[in-house]
Amino acid sequence: MKRAALLAGAGLLLLSGCYRVQKPAQAQPGAAAPVTRGDGKTLRVFIWSEYIDPDLVKVFEKANGVRVVLDTFESNEAMLAKLQGGGAQYDLAVPSNYVVQTMVRAGLLQPLDKSRLPNLKNIAPGFLNADYDPGNVYSVPYQYAATGLAYNRERYVPQDTWAEIFGADDRRSFVLLDDPREVIGAALKYLGFSANTTRVEELRAARDLLRRVVAKKGFQGFDGGPGTRNKLLAKTVDLGQIYVGDLLIATEEDENVQVLLPRQGTTISMDTLVVLKRSPNPALAHRFIDFILDAENGAQLSNYTYYATPNAAARPYLDDFLKDIPALNPPAAWLADGRLDFIGELPAGRPQRLYDRIWTELKSR
Amino acid sequence: MMRRTHPALSAWAWLVYAFLYLPIIVLVVFSFNDSRFGATWAGFTTKWYGVLFARADVREALAHTLEIALISTLVSTVLGTLVGLGLWRYTLRFRTALTGLLVLPIVVPDVVMGVSLLMFYSFVRQGLERAGWTFDNGFWTVLLAHVTFQISYVALTVRSRLAGYGPELEEAARDLGASGWESFRRVVLPLAMPGVLAGALLAFTLSLDDFVVTYFTSGSGFSTLPVLIYTNVKRGVTPDINALSALLVLVTVVAIVAANALLRPRRDA
Repeated sequence: MKRAALLAGAGLLLLSGCYRVQKPAQAQPGAAAPVTRGDGKTLRVFIWSEYIDPDLVKVFEKANGVRVVLDTFESNEAMLAKLQGGGAQYDLAVPSNYVVQTMVRAGLLQPLDKSRLPNLKNIAPGFLNADYDPGNVYSVPYQYAATGLAYNRERYVPQDTWAEIFGADDRRSFVLLDDPREVIGAALKYLGFSANTTRVEELRAARDLLRRVVAKKGFQGFDGGPGTRNKLLAKTVDLGQIYVGDLLIATEEDENVQVLLPRQGTTISMDTLVVLKRSPNPALAHRFIDFILDAENGAQLSNYTYYATPNAAARPYLDDFLKDIPALNPPAAWLADGRLDFIGELPAGRPQRLYDRIWTELKSR
Repeated sequence: MMRRTHPALSAWAWLVYAFLYLPIIVLVVFSFNDSRFGATWAGFTTKWYGVLFARADVREALAHTLEIALISTLVSTVLGTLVGLGLWRYTLRFRTALTGLLVLPIVVPDVVMGVSLLMFYSFVRQGLERAGWTFDNGFWTVLLAHVTFQISYVALTVRSRLAGYGPELEEAARDLGASGWESFRRVVLPLAMPGVLAGALLAFTLSLDDFVVTYFTSGSGFSTLPVLIYTNVKRGVTPDINALSALLVLVTVVAIVAANALLRPRRDA
C-alpha cells in the first residue's frame, strides 16, 4: 500500500517536473497577436490521409523556411464539424467539391487572391469555373477521382458498361461503394440520367433498379475503397465499384487489377484547396497552393497518390504507366458532353430526403 | 471437490475466446506480411517495423497518446475517487441529481460531447481574446476533455465498491481512537482501493483509445494514435500500423503478466 502510494507520488512529481512546458500561448494584454499564430512560420493543413507526397512537403518547408503541420480527417462531414466548431486554426483544407458551397455559406472560407496564384493557368480549362465554385472564387482543383469499375483480369474481364452490374445477368459477383451518392449516381448514369437529378420519377427508376441489383446472388455487399481493393487483389469478387485512385495504387503489387470507366459515364469528385477565413497565415497558404499548382509538383502529387491531376501542364511529368491509363485520364469530351458528373450538393428538402430514403432502404435490406 | 464443466459449455467458452482473440492474432500475423495491401499472404518480412520506426508522425502520436492517458488517469482517479467517496459518505440534498450528472458523460454520445466541448473552448477563447489572451486547442484541451469523461467512470466504480458499507465503519474506527485522516487512510481507502484501481484502469483504457472526443478537441498538430489510425481508413490502413498495433498488444500482455507476477501473494516459507 505504502509502496504504491510512493510510486504514484513519484510518478506525479516526475510528470509535473519533467513535463515539457508548452510554449506559452498567451500574449501580454493589449499586445499584438501571440507568437503561436500568424508568424508566417507554420502552415497548418487539414487533408485526407495519404493524400500528399511527404517529400513534396519537405521541399516546400525547405524552400520557405517553414514548418508544415498536416492533420488528417476521414470524411468531409468530420472535417466540416471540426471547422464549424471553430477549434482549429488551420490555414488550408482539402474539401471535396460538393461541400465547398456549404463551407462558403458557413462563412469558413476566404476568397482567393488570384494575383498570388500565377500557376492557376496550369489547370485544364475543363476543371475551372465549375458549378461548385463559379469563377473559382474560393477553391482551386487539387486532385480528382472518377468512380470506375474494377476487376482482376486473371479472374474476369468485363465490358466497359455499368450493365456488368446493373444488367439482368446474374453470373458475376460484385461489390458496391459504401456511399449513397456513388451508388445511386451510378444507377442514374446507367439509366441515362444525371447523377445529380432531382426528378422524382428518375430517382424512382434508380430505386427500382437498385432494389433488383442488391437482390442479386452476385451482390457481395457495400465496401469502401481499401476493402474492395483487397477483395480484387485476393480474387474473391469479379467486379468492384471503386475510386480509380484507390484501385490503381494496388497495381504496384499486382498488375492484373485494372479499372475502367463505363461508357454510360460516371461520377467524379474533385478535391479542392481552400483557404480558411481564420487562417493565421493566408499569404503562406497562397504560396502553398501555387506550389501545388506547379507543373512538376502536380505530377509528383499524382505519382504518389495515383489520383488524377486537373493540372494540364503536369501531364508530361506523370509516370509513364499513369499516362497510359484511360480511367485516370478521361477524354475531355466526356466532361463536355455530360458523361462525367461532378457529384453536386443536393438542394435541401425533398430531393435530399429521397436520396436518403433510397439509401436507407438498400442498406437495411 | 471441483465440478467438471460440461463439455458443451467449455466448447462454447473456447468459441467465445476464439471470436475475441482471432482478429488480434490475424493482425499480428499480417504485420509480418510482405504486402502493402494485406489481401493475401506474400511472404514473411519485418520491414513494416522498420517503416514504423522511421515515421515521425507515429512517434509523435504515440507520445501524445501516452502523455494524455497517463496524466488524465492520475488527475481523474484522484478527483473521481473524491467524488465517489463524497457520494457514499454524505447524504446530500441533491444526491440523485448529482449522480445523474455523473452518469451523463457515460451515456451522452461521444460526438455530442466532442462537439459541445469544441464549442465551449471556442466560446472561452473568444472571451479571452477580448482580454488580449488566447490559447490554441491541443494538449491541454484534450487533457481536460479526457478528465471530464473519466471522472464519471472512476467515481461510479468507487461508489459501487463502497455501496455495501455504512457510516458505522468510520464511526468504529473513530471509537478505536483513529483521527479522521487515519480512519480514511487505514479503513476507507483500503476498502475502496480495488474500486479506485479498477476505475483508474478503466480511465486509462478509455483515454488510450478515445477517438471522437480527441478528434474534436485536439486543434491542429496534436494527433493521438486513434486519430492517426482512424483517419487513415479512407485510403486504407498501411501495414506499419498493424506492426504498431502488434507492439501495443505485446506491451499490454507483458504488463499484465508482470502485474500478475508482482501481485501474486507470496507464500511464506
